[in-house]
Amino acid sequence: MTREEFDKNRRRFGDDIDAWPPPLREPARAFMARESDDALDRLVRQAALVEGDDRALARKVMARIDRGAPHPSLLPRFLIAPTGFAASAAALLIAATIAGYQVARLQDQSQDSELLALAAGARLPDDGGQAIAGDAGEGDAL
Amino acid sequence: MPAAVRDEGADGDEELLARIAGGSQAALSALMARHGRGLRTFAARYLGHAADAEDVVQEVFVTVWKQAARFDPGRARASTWLYRITANRCIDQRRRRALRNFFGLDDIAEEPAAPEANAETATAARQELAIVRDGLSRLPERQRMALLLRAVGELDIGAIAEVMGASAGSVEQLLVRGRRALRDHLADAAGSRERKSS
Repeated sequence: MTREEFDKNRRRFGDDIDAWPPPLREPARAFMARESDDALDRLVRQAALVEGDDRALARKVMARIDRGAPHPSLLPRFLIAPTGFAASAAALLIAATIAGYQVARLQDQSQDSELLALAAGARLPDDGGQAIAGDAGEGDAL
Repeated sequence: MPAAVRDEGADGDEELLARIAGGSQAALSALMARHGRGLRTFAARYLGHAADAEDVVQEVFVTVWKQAARFDPGRARASTWLYRITANRCIDQRRRRALRNFFGLDDIAEEPAAPEANAETATAARQELAIVRDGLSRLPERQRMALLLRAVGELDIGAIAEVMGASAGSVEQLLVRGRRALRDHLADAAGSRERKSS
């Protein structure tokens, strides 16, 4: 609605916008909202209105209170805060790194013993497994 | 009218909180009847998600039930306290949703339904309100929160500052910027409609 339209409607229907024909009321309020903070706030309040069942809300709240009100989220508040999330991610990263080192160390140990055995002249079994220390060809009774 | 000058309702709220602290479920029901719709509207428009808003408001009243005894009428008005709890829960809910979105656990954001949504496109009046809602949803979070606390919660600058944990000066700035952006949005929409009609 332009200034001319608003002025024309005001001359025709009066100063009280609630008394204007329904299709003209919101455009008129929107026009006024461009000029006054209170009018803008009223328009925002009207536009923001959300339908909901107040009785259902009361019932659900009472039911949650009766149940002891478990928190609906599976995530504790600590985890959803940015610092908590960052701290948890850092802790996970450190734990994963340590676990990785541990696994790698175990692998290195077996490789070390295999290399040592090879250096000492032992023969690897076909599957490269446990039998390396006890070579079947040496010292066994036939 | 700002909450700070709305004595009749505020006194009643404080009495209700005192009774809730004493274990009165009837008082909690009365408080929900008085503030449930406003808190739900605030949460729905701030979060842009009706189901999340419903959860938040339920959590708020459960918190009120548990912690009503901790409310100190000397420090803040009951409505300020309620909106503060709601704003904090909304921020938690927004973080939770962002985290779920990050891990791909969530559906697409749902806009809260407006009354008579089907008729909305049919009339200029509903279109105008839809434009305001659209403008509101495009505002930066803190501007949107300040504007909703003012318009929906009817809180004054001091109370909004208390709810948002900000100074009165910065709340005024948020309101000025938010209103300016909303007015620009309304003017743009009006301009484009005029161009289409001419």
